[in-house]
Amino acid sequence: MNTRIIYALALTLTSCWAHAVEGDPQPSVMWEYFHQRLLDNADFVFDEAVKVSVPPFAEDARQVPIEVDARALPGKVERVMIWAELNPIPQVLTLYPSAELEKFLAVRIRVEQATPIRAALLMDDGIWHVGSARVEAAGGGCSAPSVVRAQEGWEDHLGEIFGARFKAGDNSRLRLSVSHPMDNGLVDSIPEFYVNQAELRDRSGAVLARIDLFSAVSENPTLTLGIKGHPETQLWLRDNNGNEFTADIP
Amino acid sequence: MRCLLIFLCSSILSFSAWADYQLTPKKIAENTWLLEGSTENFNFENGGNIVNAAFIVTDTGVVVIDTGPSLAYGKALRAAIATVTDKPVIQVLLTHHHPDHVLGNQAFADVPIAALAGSKQLLQEQGNHMAENMYRVVGDWMRGTEVLLPSQLVEAGVLTIGGHPLQLLSLTGHTGADLVILDQRTGVLFAGDLVFYQRALATPNTPGLAAWLADIDTLEKLPWTLIVPGHGPLASDAQPFVQMRDYLTWLDSALREAAQTGMDMNQVLRLPIPERFAQVSLTRYELIRTVSHLYPLYEKQQWQRLDQD
Repeated sequence: MNTRIIYALALTLTSCWAHAVEGDPQPSVMWEYFHQRLLDNADFVFDEAVKVSVPPFAEDARQVPIEVDARALPGKVERVMIWAELNPIPQVLTLYPSAELEKFLAVRIRVEQATPIRAALLMDDGIWHVGSARVEAAGGGCSAPSVVRAQEGWEDHLGEIFGARFKAGDNSRLRLSVSHPMDNGLVDSIPEFYVNQAELRDRSGAVLARIDLFSAVSENPTLTLGIKGHPETQLWLRDNNGNEFTADIP
Repeated sequence: MRCLLIFLCSSILSFSAWADYQLTPKKIAENTWLLEGSTENFNFENGGNIVNAAFIVTDTGVVVIDTGPSLAYGKALRAAIATVTDKPVIQVLLTHHHPDHVLGNQAFADVPIAALAGSKQLLQEQGNHMAENMYRVVGDWMRGTEVLLPSQLVEAGVLTIGGHPLQLLSLTGHTGADLVILDQRTGVLFAGDLVFYQRALATPNTPGLAAWLADIDTLEKLPWTLIVPGHGPLASDAQPFVQMRDYLTWLDSALREAAQTGMDMNQVLRLPIPERFAQVSLTRYELIRTVSHLYPLYEKQQWQRLDQD
């Protein structure tokens, strides 16, 4: 009898604890968890100026495009974190931008099920500004067999980088893609093998942006960054096996 | 008591599950009947009946073109055939491997089911996954449905059945293996999903929009009198071809221009859809899917190799 009461009590407490937070545009039982684990319980605000775009549904759960556009948000960005709240591997990337970067980026990720997608920008006021979106998905994107590995001779193309710089008014858009399986350790006993570090540098080697990547990022990662002006840049990448790849972006 | 309740509930449930597709064959030409589906997306209400199936009552028996989205549909189709003829079904022809066209196969297991070799292979590779997805999107209508592979292969050429010379064309635009059937006796063109009319075209397996456009040219030159699209209403004029060409051309140039200006996928799927396609259903939905299927190919054309090797 007593046990039963304790169970009931525990259940009530857990369900209270797991309640979505007020004002969340994408109410999710996991918000508190990520607020604590990723944002270190710091001050935050759900901010419409952080626009997160995703398709309404994932046509291909292995390649779900995410766009974060916070150009309407004033101030300097210290850090950007993106995660997919209900993914087995939630974290997508952490970006440490310089003042040369626009508040715009896009990346493609894997999702295992329908999930809220968050982008949190730590601004120079010390507050995380959080944008949200939700993608529907039949699921299975994280545990689906690799498309890259199914291609004969994929190893020969490892680390090939494709892309271009596009003019967008006074600024530029860098579009970059690297050939890599981005194994997340969830498929066919293949251990984790993915690009986990990236730096965008100017011609002199000064770092314009540092990015930590996680294995929620899709195979053959595709990244779009907004950068001020029309500079020539370099991309440096390293995977968790220590392979380094570099590219010049004219 | 409990048993009785369970029995009652389950019998009510199973009864409603067979809430039937209400297939009414419409005579469209001599010996030729159409079962026209809606131009909606799959949902729990339509049970996947978004597709056009047809049959020809030849002198020696009935030729069925596509079997629909589920076992229940296949059975309903067979029952509908029996309302207009006593002749047996003697041949099934599948236009391509997509689930809404082939998952009624089980209801025709006793009949030769023919498809292009490419369609059989694609169904073998993708069938179970597509069927699973159908269970997710239309639910209980799918009960008992499993993939049944074609038992016969056909190639381009003329197949004459019971006084109907059927010209078979092997094309590629929609899935890489698309069978088109022109009944040379009636002039009815069963275009399969190479022709969507008043319903946006779907691109999951297309080898490319250029190949699709070339197929539209091939079809239009045939001596047809009536077009049965894979989805959408019947037509006796060239309007479906006009619409397909217009839509494919717009889609191709929109994707190319987007890639040329450096757009990422989310920007592309927000692009405005021209007003002239307003009467075409599901354009935004299919654009979102197409961006996923095809945009990476357009991006690659605009990118250079940048790494130093």
